[in-house]
Parts: sequence; structure tokens; C-alpha cells
Amino acid sequence: MNHHTHDSHDNHDVKKHAAPHAVCMRGITKRFPGVVALEDMSLDVRPGEFHAICGENGAGKSTLVNILSGVYQPDGGTLEIGGAVVRFASTRDAERAGVAIIHQELALVEELSVAANVFLGREKRTALGWIDDRAMAAECALLLDSLECRVAPDALTGHLRVGDQQLVEIAKALSLDASIVVMDEPTSALTESESARLERTIAKLLARGTTILYISHKMAEVFRLADRITVLRDGRHVRTVNRADTSPEEITGWMVGRKIADRPASGPRVRGKQLLEVRNLCLEWPEHPRGYRLADISLSLCANEILGVAGLMGAGRTELLETLFGAGQSNWTGDILLEGRRVRFLHPREACDHRIAMVSEDRKRLGLFPDLDVAGNVSVCALHEALHWGLLSRSGEDALVAGSVRQTGVKTSSLHAPMMGLSGGNQQKCIIGRWLLTRPDILLLDDPTRGIDVGAKAELYALIDQLCREGMGVILTSSELPELLSLADRIIVLAEGRLTAEFSRAEATEAKIMAAATG
Amino acid sequence: MPPHQDSFRQPFLLRRSEWALALAIVVAVGLTALLDANHSYATRPLESLRDIARNTALLGIFALGATVVIIAGGIDLSAGSMIALSGTVCATTMLALAPVEMMGFKPVGPAVVAVACAASLLAGFLVGTLHSWLITSIGLPPFIATLATLVGLRSFARALCESATSALTPTKSALVNVADPFFKTVRDNVWIPVAVFGVLACITWLILTRTVLGRHIAALGGNEQAARLAGIRTENVKWFAYCFGAMTAALAGLFYVANESVAAPVNQGRGHELNAIAAAVVGGCSLAGGVGTVPGTVLGAIFLRVVIDAVSKIIKTGADVYEGLIVGIVVVMAVTLGQVGQMAKGGRKLLPGSLGLCAIPTLAILSGAIVSMTAGPRAGAAAAGASLVLLWLLRAWENSRTPASSM
Repeated sequence: MNHHTHDSHDNHDVKKHAAPHAVCMRGITKRFPGVVALEDMSLDVRPGEFHAICGENGAGKSTLVNILSGVYQPDGGTLEIGGAVVRFASTRDAERAGVAIIHQELALVEELSVAANVFLGREKRTALGWIDDRAMAAECALLLDSLECRVAPDALTGHLRVGDQQLVEIAKALSLDASIVVMDEPTSALTESESARLERTIAKLLARGTTILYISHKMAEVFRLADRITVLRDGRHVRTVNRADTSPEEITGWMVGRKIADRPASGPRVRGKQLLEVRNLCLEWPEHPRGYRLADISLSLCANEILGVAGLMGAGRTELLETLFGAGQSNWTGDILLEGRRVRFLHPREACDHRIAMVSEDRKRLGLFPDLDVAGNVSVCALHEALHWGLLSRSGEDALVAGSVRQTGVKTSSLHAPMMGLSGGNQQKCIIGRWLLTRPDILLLDDPTRGIDVGAKAELYALIDQLCREGMGVILTSSELPELLSLADRIIVLAEGRLTAEFSRAEATEAKIMAAATG
Repeated sequence: MPPHQDSFRQPFLLRRSEWALALAIVVAVGLTALLDANHSYATRPLESLRDIARNTALLGIFALGATVVIIAGGIDLSAGSMIALSGTVCATTMLALAPVEMMGFKPVGPAVVAVACAASLLAGFLVGTLHSWLITSIGLPPFIATLATLVGLRSFARALCESATSALTPTKSALVNVADPFFKTVRDNVWIPVAVFGVLACITWLILTRTVLGRHIAALGGNEQAARLAGIRTENVKWFAYCFGAMTAALAGLFYVANESVAAPVNQGRGHELNAIAAAVVGGCSLAGGVGTVPGTVLGAIFLRVVIDAVSKIIKTGADVYEGLIVGIVVVMAVTLGQVGQMAKGGRKLLPGSLGLCAIPTLAILSGAIVSMTAGPRAGAAAAGASLVLLWLLRAWENSRTPASSM
């Protein structure tokens, strides 16, 4: 038990009589064309509690958040906030009722200052009706201070780090005097220290009597923080339990409806010939005080090997993979050798031609073609194999895609279903399948399991392991250390653009890696 | 998710919205046949058909170019000026190669005509190259790059025309008459532009649906960064798209010269770029890129011209007076109707809050003004009153369905 949970309970024993539940859902149903996103959802959240909501992607968590925040209107059922039945027609209504949402994808205007964002839509005015930047900056400074956020109120929001942006959202919630704060996977893009700071902020909110609804995949933080845990699956409420009465294994079991092995069962792989060698790779960053994105990186990769790249946000993991793939800036120095031959790619096309493939970190922004169907998304790199007399052959393309979909285990009702209708895990499998069609020797995976549910993660691990056994060399980055520890043969650690350590599978531990990543 | 059959296959021939558009064309033609006091569709069907076909083909040719550019995620605002430049290049090339015949309104010979037409298409290629260079290498937004050429090319065409005429003829002029029999034949035989339009539509359709390039165009328009990371040479795809856009406009420019027997850079094709974009949008293209079809644009172009023709037949004033108004209304209606289903599901309202309240008299005044100009003040007042009542009822109905807010 954390100290703050005691506090909050004490505070709220008084209130409990007046408002039995902070949030009370009864039989909430939400349908979208072809899908029931939430069905007969009932949920009680006690005032002042930290209530975690867990579920795989597609379990209905986001729909739940969107109904609470007034983005969606439920098709059936009732929603009570503080004992009063409400119908939110917009997010404004929800804010007025004291519900603030910290969305997974932050909803800040990057071109405006921090203070302007905090007071967006509720700007303070002077007696003459002019906008009162001074008063807003002053109040904003106080709010940020209380959150340990060392950011000037007049700083441009777009220039902040993700962790600070999130605190700006929380400052906004505080300025709204929200009694209920909903956080949708807030730590998915945070460093360890930022996560710790967020946890302290949460403790402060709870001490003020705020109710927190916390949506997360991460069992560790859920079990560290939560009073009660609700599990959703396939749009339905599975159960709500006290944290003390359950275990992470039980929760993940309810989430997927079955027990999953924590780690993929992988026997030792036999390392093959060397595929890639990088010597003294440096990448400049002139506009930044550090001066470089990558400094003096040397590494090697063999066939049948998974090289893990660990590092905090901003350590240069993505830049390293992008440089290898020819997708980043081309002003790097050093040597990249492919099977002994020096290469310099100026465009991803050239990397493809040398049988390198890369699955980017941000699937939605860098990977998916939302207007193409599943087949179009999978075949885009291998269309030349589906040509018949110079024209695309539908059947040829379908055959190609069907093979890839089978190999990666994509679950889709049709090869021609809309891409955006698939779950995150299936979308990721499609993108990996897209690259497997190019028969790469080297596969670069940039945080491939980000935003993917537990079941799909396990399937992806098995797929990566199998590809590796078939002779591919894989470079894998991940924000989750257990993932690297269980998959990689070797792990290199980046910190602020430098390579600070290299561990073999046997040597590596979470503690050693974290020490190298922060040092 | 329940297993269901493969309901995502390509639909039969046309998509649903395209069938609806085809139906709308039939309805518009039927209404015109009924309401036209002269019954010109019944009495002179061939002449009416020829009229619509010519206008549709001329619009459709460069609307296909606009479609490709829009699907690739760009926009080409310069098509109208490209039409003017193409005509001017064609006419001045003929003037340079055969000044005596041109001034004497005599045939210049097929070789000269061929060279002149090729020069026009080359000009289109160069303008397309300029666009894609400005956009990919300089990094200008497509809107800015083609806005610059929209104003710049027309001025350039006029300067070209004036300097060519002052050098090659006794008097400086802002237009060049074209009297070669080749252009007369094209003008007199409406099926030539229609055939060119048909062939071009088939080629464009093949490119977009059955080639790697076409798939890359859709991918580029849908997500440019993802396309680059998938190894697509996005700058080359854009180069093709903008060249295709400019060259179809150049081709259309040749037909305008034939139609009007003159190359007139000051006014030829003025504002036509917006009609082309309108045809593409009515046909289902999304200006966000990645979405659109050739059959859609073809139907969109036909629909626009049929409605313009209908209005000119029913209201006995010059069609050109109302052309812009019709295009504007048709675009708004087409895009709105495409969204009505979604709006109803999302609980969105057509006339929400105080903005909706002000929109009611705005729309009523607009409809009243249009009707009173075309059918007299009394009808106008009636139309205004009727719209006021109808929109008010619509708003009341919307509000009764979903309470504005519980707070």
C-alpha cells in the first residue's frame, strides 16, 4: 500500500455519503459500423481512488475514455458523474463536469506557448477584454511548479519533450479543477525518470482527493499504483478486483482470456556469417547544444542473430536504424560495411536493393497507408513480382499477400479489408509481412511491439525468433527491457548518442542496462 | 470479430457513390427534358448531346490530370493558365515557322501543326517539371508553387504572345488567330475531343489501377513518409503526377485554340483549374490525397456539364452567368451528401448552435436572391420564406433528437 492511498481514503470517507461513486456506468454500449466497441459496460469508480483499467488493444479502453470525455456518445446505458446522470455532447461538457483526459496522443497545439495551451478555450482576459498573457503565465508557472516541471510558461509547446508535454496536459487538468482525471497509457513515451516524476504527480493528485482512472498495459506500474483494477476484454467488463487480491499473471490471463508464457521459449541460435559492420559512425546535430545525434558507434551483426539496442527516449536508437536504412540525414561519417563492402545509402530504396528492411517505430505515421486495403499495404514493396505483361495482376498480388499474411499470422476477414480496421498487432504483422516479401537479409525493427497487446506481442516474438533461425540478422530496439532480454543474443546500450555498453545474453540484466543507459 | 464473407472485393464496375452520381446525371437530364420550355432535348437531341459532349470532353481532359495530382496528395491550381500558355505556344510556334500563311489565314501544313502541338505538350512537361522541382527540391507547398504559376504563366503567355507578334507581324497583339484546316476539323468534329478524352481516361484508369506507378501514386497521397520509407522514390512519383497534370492541361489548351480559332492568353481557360478540381471532388477525390478514381472524375465532369446545361436550358439567360454558382453549389452538395450518413451516426448536426441559427437566414437570403434573379421577385420571396421555414424545422428536428447538452 502506498502512503497516498491511505490519505485519499481518509479524505473521502466523509464525501462518500454524498457521492457514492465518482463515475458510475450502467450498461454502456457503443457500436461502430460492423463492430461493437463496448457492450453492456458497467463500472463503478470510488471517489479518490486510483482505478486502473487493463485490456488488450481493441478491448474497448479507448472507447471508454472517449465516452467519458464526451468525444463519443453512447448508444445505450447511463453515465453518472458524482451521482448525477450526464450526457456529454462534447468534450466541453465533460470538462465542465470535472472530467479531464490525458490522451495517449497528446492534444496540444504545438505552435502555441505552454500557458496558452493550459488555458486554451478558457483564456483569461483583462478588464478591457484583451487577452491577459501575464495572468495566464503567472498561474501556469505555479501549476507547473507544483508538478516539478521545469519549463517556462512562454516556451513553445512543440519544443518540449514528450514527458513535459504530458505534464502540461496535467497542468491543464489541474487548472480545470478536475475531480476525475483519466490517463490513457501516459507512460508509453516516457523515460524512467519522467515516469517516476509522473508517479509523484499522481500521488499529489490523489492527496488532493482527485479520482484517477488509469489505462495501462504495464503490469508493473499498475500493481505499484492501483487501488482497484478493472479488466476489459472484447468490449466487455471481465471483472474488477482489489489490487491486493490479485497478481499480474492473473490480470494478463483475464486480458487475453488465457495464460501466456512470460518469455518465448527459444533455444540457443547458432550465429552465422557476419552481415553488417559499422565503424565509428557519427551523425551531426548542428542545431543542438550536444552537437551530435550519434557519436562513434561501432557494432556488428551476424546472420541468425538478434542484436538488441537499448536506450532511453532520445538516446539515438531510431537515428541509428534510420542511418543504416538510408532514411535519415546523410551527413554521417564513419563506415557502414555490408558483407565487407562499404555502402552509403541516400534513399531507403537503395537499402531495399541491398536486402535491408526496416519496420519504423511510429506505425501510423511512418508505416501505414490508410487508404489502401490490407493487400495494398502488404504488397507495396514487392509489386514488381505481381506484374503480368507489365500490368499488375490482381491474382498475382493476392497470392503474394496471402503467403505473407499466412507467414506472419495476420488475422483479417479479407485481404481486401480496410487496413485501419485491423488491430494494432495485426497492422504491425502486415508491415513486417510487407518487408518479408522483399526477402531481406537484415531486418531493422524499431520498437515493433509498441502499442500492441500482450497476445500479439507473444506472437511477434515467436515470429522474430523464427525469422532469425531461418538466417536473417535482426536489429531490434525496444522501450521494454524484458523484451530485449528475452529476445536478443547481444544488447548494445545507447545513452545520449553514445554507445555505453555491450552485453551478451548471459551477462545482461535490467539493472546493468539501466545503469549504462543513464550513464 | 465474426467471420464474414469477402465483402471487400472490388465492387461491380463502379463504387456505390459513383452509381449514385450516374443516377444523378440521368435525373438531371430527365428534369431538363421535362422542364425546358423549348424541349430542345426532344427536338434537337443531337445538337444538345454534341454541346454537352464537347464541353465535358474539354473539361474532362484536364480534370483527369487534376485527379492524378490530387490522388498523389498534391494540388495543381495552374491548369487554367497552362491552357492559355499551351495555346499561345502552339500559335506562336506556327507563327514563327509559317508567318506568311498564318497572317494570310492559309493552311500552314501538317508538319508545322505537328511541331506546334508537340511544342505545347513539351511546355506542359516543362511546367510539370518546374512544379515538382519547386515542391520536392525547394520544399514549397503545392498550393504555393502552383499559385505562383497560376498567376505567373498567364502573364508569361501574354508576354510571349505580344513579343512574338511584334517580332513576326506588323502589329503587336495579345491574341493570334489560328485558321489552319486541322484546327477547323477538330472544331467542327466534336467526336475528336470526345475520343481523345475517352482514350485518355482509359489510359489514366490503367495507370492508376493496374501499374506499380499508380499504386505508388495512391500510397504517396495516403502517407508520404511511409511511402518513402517503403522505398518508393516519392520525388519521381510526384514528378510524374505534376507532368501528367500540366500535359493534360496543355492538351486541353490545343482544343480550346481549335474551338475558338484563336490563341488568347488573356482569357482562355481563365478559372478552369477550379472546375477541374471540382469535377474531381464531385467524383469522390479527397483533397487530403490517396482517394479517387477515374470513373468518378469522368462522371463528375459529366454531371457538372449536364447541370450547367440544364440551368442554361431552363433559365433563358447565358449559361456562363450562372456557371460559377452552379459549380459551387454542386461541389458543396456532392461533398455534403457524401457525409450525411456519417454525420447522422456521429451525432453531428447541420445547424448547430448560434452558427446554425445565423446560417438559416444566410441560406434563405441566398436562395431567395438566386430565385428572384432567375424567376422574378415574387418567386424569390416565396423561396426565401420556404427555405427559412424548412431550415427552421430541420434545426428543431435535430435538437429534438439529441438534447444540446445536459449541463
